[in-house]
Amino acid sequence: MAGTNRGTFFSGAGLVWKWQRLVWWLFAVCLIFGFFSTHEMTERAYSLLNNSVAAQRLVNGFDFSAFVTLQQLPDSPLEIQQHNIAHFSLLFVVFMLFATGGILAAYVLGEKPTTTTFFEAAGHHFWRFFRLLIYLVVVLLPIAGLAAASNAMYTHIEDQSISPYRGDHFVEAAAVIILLLLIIVRVWFDMAQVIAVADDEKKMHRALRRAFTLFRRNFFSLLWIYLRVSIISWLFFAIGLHIWMFRLNPQSVVAAFLVSQLMILTWVGTRLWQRASEAIWYRNYQATQAPAPAWAPAPAPMYIPTAAEPQP
Amino acid sequence: MRLTTVFALAAASAIFCGPIFSQTPAPADSAAKTLSTRVVAYQVEAKLDPTKHTIAASETLTYRNLTGQPQQTFPFHLYLNAFQPQSTFMTEVRRSGTRGNGPDTDWDPKHFGSITVDKLEVEGAGDLTNKMQFIQPDDHNTDDHTVVQITLPKPIAPGASVEFHIVFHDVLPKVVERTGYAHDFDMVGQWFPKVGVWWKNTWNCHQFHASTEFFADFGTFDVKITVPQNEIVGAGGDLVSTATNSDGTKTLTYHSEDVHDFSWTASPSFTVVEDSWTGSQGPVKIHLLVSPGHMSSAQRYLTAVKGTLRLFDEWYGPYPYDRITMVDPPHGGGDAGGMEYPTLITLGTAVHMPQGVLAPEVVTEHEFGHQYWYGMVATNEFEEAWLDEGINSYTEVKVMDALYGKNTSVLNFPFAQMGESGMQQISYLDDPDKDPISRYAWQFYNSNSYGGITYGKTATMLITLEKVLGEDTLRQALHTYFMRYRFTHPTGEDFLKTIEEVSGKNLRWYFNQAVYGTQVLDYSIGDAHSDPLKWWDTSAHGSKKNDKDEIYRTYVTILRKGDFQFPVDLDVKFDDGSTAAEHWDGQDRWVRYQYDRKAKITSAQIDAHNQMTMDRDYFNNGYTEDANPRAAHKLRNIWVFASEWLSQLLAWLT
Repeated sequence: MAGTNRGTFFSGAGLVWKWQRLVWWLFAVCLIFGFFSTHEMTERAYSLLNNSVAAQRLVNGFDFSAFVTLQQLPDSPLEIQQHNIAHFSLLFVVFMLFATGGILAAYVLGEKPTTTTFFEAAGHHFWRFFRLLIYLVVVLLPIAGLAAASNAMYTHIEDQSISPYRGDHFVEAAAVIILLLLIIVRVWFDMAQVIAVADDEKKMHRALRRAFTLFRRNFFSLLWIYLRVSIISWLFFAIGLHIWMFRLNPQSVVAAFLVSQLMILTWVGTRLWQRASEAIWYRNYQATQAPAPAWAPAPAPMYIPTAAEPQP
Repeated sequence: MRLTTVFALAAASAIFCGPIFSQTPAPADSAAKTLSTRVVAYQVEAKLDPTKHTIAASETLTYRNLTGQPQQTFPFHLYLNAFQPQSTFMTEVRRSGTRGNGPDTDWDPKHFGSITVDKLEVEGAGDLTNKMQFIQPDDHNTDDHTVVQITLPKPIAPGASVEFHIVFHDVLPKVVERTGYAHDFDMVGQWFPKVGVWWKNTWNCHQFHASTEFFADFGTFDVKITVPQNEIVGAGGDLVSTATNSDGTKTLTYHSEDVHDFSWTASPSFTVVEDSWTGSQGPVKIHLLVSPGHMSSAQRYLTAVKGTLRLFDEWYGPYPYDRITMVDPPHGGGDAGGMEYPTLITLGTAVHMPQGVLAPEVVTEHEFGHQYWYGMVATNEFEEAWLDEGINSYTEVKVMDALYGKNTSVLNFPFAQMGESGMQQISYLDDPDKDPISRYAWQFYNSNSYGGITYGKTATMLITLEKVLGEDTLRQALHTYFMRYRFTHPTGEDFLKTIEEVSGKNLRWYFNQAVYGTQVLDYSIGDAHSDPLKWWDTSAHGSKKNDKDEIYRTYVTILRKGDFQFPVDLDVKFDDGSTAAEHWDGQDRWVRYQYDRKAKITSAQIDAHNQMTMDRDYFNNGYTEDANPRAAHKLRNIWVFASEWLSQLLAWLT
């Protein structure tokens, strides 16, 4: 095994922390996109609510019927701008496809990223990662098929059983399996990206093949690298959501904003933690796979004259 | 005028005017001291095959001709035939959807059901099976077999009775709309041939439509139900006896009187919970049948029904029956839920229903409320659905608010709340202006409009009416309406006139718009600002010394943006603590108020007590001089987070 998992766990965290500006940069872009995508509907909300007495229904607690009424108005805020959120989200995906190359280059090479090296690496790998994305979509199709089959099976179980638990248990089991499959696929493709960057692999199908072999031989090790960080991420998300929904004063705006953004920041940070851990793992793996030295002729035996022999 | 002419005229009046009055509030049979005028007496024997979900049955209907006219033709409802591909019901569902089913719902053959009359005999007239004729009084869809008519060889004289002996069998559909089966659960409603109602001097027996419910006369029901011994049965009647049969079945005999329908349910998987409540008429047995996985909602159902019983008893009138059966459909059978039958209601919940979602309570209250508005005040649900669904939705708001809090009677979480009034409002405002409340149920634009107008608009219309009459007066009007018209078939005008009578006000201006019209109510503060009176004198402004003596002219304009005209109250507040109150009749398109005082406006509010729930946009009902962006910021937080979260989710692909 390439190094210990414990080592990669903390090293990965350390690397993310050391170069945390990457985290902040991604978070900032996500936040800016978030603001842009919701700008028009926010402006509309301001014009409707800033001087409205009824706006208090959304501040003192949260009157859900008032929220729905707002959306039912002929030119409702949400009605105006739903598509913007989708567009900016897709734009963020393209951005991440671009930035991943630079991020991985920094983590794989272990060198502090400068602006030049970062964007060079990002541009260098962008098209490769785009091709990898197409492969990913193809690989996900059977999983989508499995999800559809699970749904059909669920309907069948619901049809046959008067007990509501059977269907529920089936859905829970199916969800776990599908989630696990998605994680496996993600780790596989993560490693393909690492190989593409570390070895400057141009052919993505080769990168995928090598990553698959690597993953197969070190399945639990690599899976665990990804999974434990995911668990931490989900935990933080759940805690954040609980605080936001149940603990904060309903009137709070700043605290709610901070909590929600902390959740997003944690999400970004833990994702980079996974990338860093994978990159370190691969670096260590490469080190343990150093090739044997090339054959060299044995040196000629040295002649050591004895005392009885005449000196030349 | 000659005496003989007078007598002749009097006799003619008695003959020809009798039928006109036959459908107005009629006294109960005084001889037997019954609650209702019992027009029908059904005796039914039914055997359920729970494997095939079929029912083999025979019915004897004794019909008393109280129409005041000889009757020779009798129409019968055969509701179950609606679940056939070419029926009017199915055609309308495919066009516009229905409750719980959109237009593009896939219809499995299992969802088809039917009722077939195998034999129809009439006492004294013999076998008339071949004389039955399907009719389509509403849309001439000859493929619709939900109404069958039989013409007797000889008419039945006024006051006489006729006996029909009908042998029929039902095929229950897999439940998609009220009646049917789900797993081993059978909900048997609208399952027997039911005679129409003599209404306004003619037979009223409509086809079954996607948006219609039911209408029938009061009478008695004696029903014997044979089921396998492991089946647990619930019915809308008193259980008289249970007999065990040698073939592994049992026969339960039920009796119900002063009701206009009989329904029942059977499942071996029910858990039975018995409870009781005592009101002004004595004890009421509560018979709750809970499906697997739903026991956590049982206490919620019971608490809700007892609270509702108490408040209805206090506010509107006594509940005269000695029982109420509550049926909780199983998962997959939810389409049988949320329905009312005399002394039997079907509910609805889910396995993990959070305490903060008051769905079990809402459905319990609503369906029990129908025991009054439909069960006892038996209005024509085809033609005036608002009289039961709408009035019931209004009383739902009052009862739920009283029991569970005005702002928390539907949703109650720290992060989100919703009250009944708000829920009715958003239901109405979803599609507020396509149909009037008074439209026939099957003639609405679509199921969404039907639901929003019949339920939501009627409820908000009555809540808004409280602003004119006061809550107590309207409650008194509903009490009077119930006590006067229970066990009869009143009309919408009977209801509206009762309100006018009790309030002592002419409310035609309101009802013409709210009930018979489609006008939308929307008033707004158009403008509110203060300006120094001597705005041209720059030396008078700016200094602290002069500010105290500065006189400001304040304008407040109210606009009528909608076509609905309604009186409006305005409250204005100034920064010196003073206030001004105005009352505007709301007739014109706008009104402007002017105030000259040593203070500037801080806020202007119309409908400060939020009684105008029909107002389409209450966000423009109030104005504050100082902007407070807190609400918008709160929404922005949610939207930005949602956008970021979606981005992160999609970024998983990279």
